[in-house]
Amino acid sequence: MIPPFANEPVLELRRATVRAEIDAALADLDRTLPLSVPVIIGADRRSGADLRSTDPGEPERLVAQAVRAGSDDVDAAVRLARAGVAAWCARPAAERADALRRAASWMRERRLELAALQVRECAKPWPEADGDVCEAIDFLEYYARGAVELDAGRALVQVAGERNELHYVPRGVVGVIPPWNFPLAIPCGMTAAALATGNAVILKPAEQSPGCGLKLVEALRAGGVTPEAISLLPGEGDTGARLVSSPGVHMIAFTGSMQVGLEIIRSAAERQPGQRHIKHVVAELGGKNCVLVDSDADLDEAVPAIVSSAFAYAGQKCSAASRVLVHEAIFETLLKRMKGAVEVLVVGQAAELATEVPPVIEREAQERVARYAELAAADGQIVTRAQPVPDHGFFCAPTLAASLRSGSPVLSEEVFGPLLTVEPIRTIEHGCDIVDELPHALTGGLFARDPSTVRYVRARTPVGDLYVNRGITGAKVGRQPFGGNRLSGTGSQAGGPDYLLQFVEPRAVCENTMRHGLEV
Amino acid sequence: MSQQALERAIQQIGAELAASFPSAARHPMRALDSRAMELASSDRELRAALFRFVDVAPACRSLDDLARHLTGYLGEVSETPPPIAAAVKVAHTKAGRAALGAAAAGGVRHLAHRFIVGETPGAALGVLRQLWSRGVASSVDLLGEATVTAAEADAYARRCADALADLAGTARGWQARPLLERDSVGPLPRANLSVKVSALTPLLRPDAPALGRIDAARRLRPLLHEAHRHGAHIHIDMESLDSREAVLGLVLELLGEQEFENGPSAGVVIQAYLRDSGEQLEQILDWAASHSRSQPIQVRLVKGAYWDHELVQARQHGWPAPVYEVKAECDRNFEALTLRLLEARPLVRVAIGSHNLRSVAHAIAVNRQLGGQECDLELQVLRGLGDELQDALASRGFRVRTYCPVGDLVAGMAYLVRRLLENTSNDSFLLRMNEGDSIQELLAAP
Repeated sequence: MIPPFANEPVLELRRATVRAEIDAALADLDRTLPLSVPVIIGADRRSGADLRSTDPGEPERLVAQAVRAGSDDVDAAVRLARAGVAAWCARPAAERADALRRAASWMRERRLELAALQVRECAKPWPEADGDVCEAIDFLEYYARGAVELDAGRALVQVAGERNELHYVPRGVVGVIPPWNFPLAIPCGMTAAALATGNAVILKPAEQSPGCGLKLVEALRAGGVTPEAISLLPGEGDTGARLVSSPGVHMIAFTGSMQVGLEIIRSAAERQPGQRHIKHVVAELGGKNCVLVDSDADLDEAVPAIVSSAFAYAGQKCSAASRVLVHEAIFETLLKRMKGAVEVLVVGQAAELATEVPPVIEREAQERVARYAELAAADGQIVTRAQPVPDHGFFCAPTLAASLRSGSPVLSEEVFGPLLTVEPIRTIEHGCDIVDELPHALTGGLFARDPSTVRYVRARTPVGDLYVNRGITGAKVGRQPFGGNRLSGTGSQAGGPDYLLQFVEPRAVCENTMRHGLEV
Repeated sequence: MSQQALERAIQQIGAELAASFPSAARHPMRALDSRAMELASSDRELRAALFRFVDVAPACRSLDDLARHLTGYLGEVSETPPPIAAAVKVAHTKAGRAALGAAAAGGVRHLAHRFIVGETPGAALGVLRQLWSRGVASSVDLLGEATVTAAEADAYARRCADALADLAGTARGWQARPLLERDSVGPLPRANLSVKVSALTPLLRPDAPALGRIDAARRLRPLLHEAHRHGAHIHIDMESLDSREAVLGLVLELLGEQEFENGPSAGVVIQAYLRDSGEQLEQILDWAASHSRSQPIQVRLVKGAYWDHELVQARQHGWPAPVYEVKAECDRNFEALTLRLLEARPLVRVAIGSHNLRSVAHAIAVNRQLGGQECDLELQVLRGLGDELQDALASRGFRVRTYCPVGDLVAGMAYLVRRLLENTSNDSFLLRMNEGDSIQELLAAP
């Protein structure tokens, strides 16, 4: 009997004894770098050094080198997965769940090592990296339980003379294409959901974090997932594109940018020669997340929560706050306090526990953030961007902007970096109108203390995740199912009770029982 | 003296103190109209609704706004008693809302006057002098918004410096009160300021205590010099566990420096509800043993005011609870730490901050058992919550110090209520007394 699900406890880093362990873990990891990330198809491994992943805070540090999977690799992986999926899905759901839960144990035993790898490969600060590992463990544990439950099927209306059954079967071969910003948790979540429900998975990790992708496959294999059911194809966009267009793939689970997501949906909709199914796409795309602050908000609470939602991990979360819409009565007060709070943010290396704003992932990201900051200066006013930041590594100064002209791209496009805008609104209704006009609808925040305001925004907001009087990042598996609507995604929520339904096909069976000798 | 004899002494002291309490009609929450108090204490939902209202009051922009919030919270109470239902009904019209808003705003101020001794230290001096003349010492706590910027930290530090000057300047003219200003070790400052490290820096980070410690030190150091110059006492309050390492590290680091060897008088806090509070106390005692200061550090032992916060945070993160979850365990720890502290004198000065009659009687009894003088044990209470105990202690010749919040009435009341709101299960002796528990039950060994 599996015990009920509970979130994996994050490290209690406020305790000196716990903090003492992490430096040692980083030193241990450093001795094993660079990792070599091969193509893994069944029992075959092919190594190479086509791609390099480096430490964003110290770009000379090579974290992993990976081979680039070519179209032959993709085709071979798909062939193997198609052949091997039958054996994997023939295993009872409980056995598949056990394999995933053993993978979770494998990760649990290597928690600090896995977090340290994220510190290096993605410049993810310790508390966030540790949270990511915990989330990966949570996904394995949560979907393992959910799949066992789903395997029992659902109840239908029963009438005399017939027996009606509804059960679920896997879709087949799932291509998983995750981003680098949650380098273990997001690939793990999509992969675990597919495997738990009996699919075979081909994982194409983000080119910025192949090392974390390798660790996921190692965990799953160590847990007992069959080699045919999980393959690893390191590579860049072309590897992913080949996977998406392959006629042998039944489903794509993608998390990343809107642009790539829409391209995947378009490509997947195109029927390839020999393809006898409609490809299903689950896409979790970006956000332009707004925080509404009403005049009765508790600013002591709102200011730190907003600043942390916008600038932690340098704003590189799809859930991060990017626009603050604040009631005009407290606009000046809030802006002044926000300015001061942004000015004391600690910019530094991810390995330092004091760091709140680490470097962004790569030079292109640094340049993109700088472009948006220039645009914000041209379209409005930079409230603060005072901090000198290290010039080595891809650092960006945390930036707070206000008074942007309506229509400025800074107000509608996802920056994915440490840039936050603040603007006054006349009323909460006005704020909701602004949110309504945006193409994205991922997360949203509300700071207000009138119960009727909370009810109003709850009813009106299109976002997938609304957070009231708290920060808007850090969704927990099983507690805050995560995923957005509109152009933010296909509306499925990871870590929630409905997610696994995306990975299965329903099968209804009606049997005539008239000649079974049963009583009517 | 045996354990039995100690227990008898506790019972006797407790009974004497209880007998010295003002009459039952003036119960501890008398600031609320008795009718409202009856309603509020009988119904947790209603109490929460009223707390939420006081919490939001400073952010309301008009009487109408006040009334809308009040009725909004009351609307969430499942069974509204008739007077409350009437108030909600009144709020259906604009004129009604104005009247209700005015009444509610008046109510908050009325309540605030009981807990807050003045809007500024200057304005509080009258009350502090009255307390002093009645045999009650004080420690001033400056209420204010949370510190999230460097400018806010600087402003708080300035307020503290001004308060030290005001308090020390005025207190010099107070009449002599030997019990309040001297113990066996030497003189005790009349002026006494409690300081919150979370207000002295915007950089307190639970995962990186050094960051806040170093930033707060820049502002605490001049305050210690000021206190020394004025002959005032500075007490560093303890807040949630998230900041404990930074706070204790900061205080012990600064006070350990040679420049503060001869003053000022200063103190720290131990929270008995923390499971590892014993280790913390040993750390402080070790420090005290290895640093010679002309005025020993004062240790204020309290139960702790962030119980709900600590428990909720631990549950949300999946951490073991850092606090005792059973009241009796906490009370037993409080008594064990009391004994440890009193035995450790004169390495430290001891203050017992509690409204729990049993805990107070226990401290007094142990002090006597150890042969200590009454002047070597300080008892501390909170303004507005411990007034009766304060009077009882003062009338029986104990040194009692009342922790006196100072700040804007409406905003200050909101800060105080926020603590209550987040810690509603921190039900104490006071509520139990309100609920009519007998004196024997209240004095029973935990």
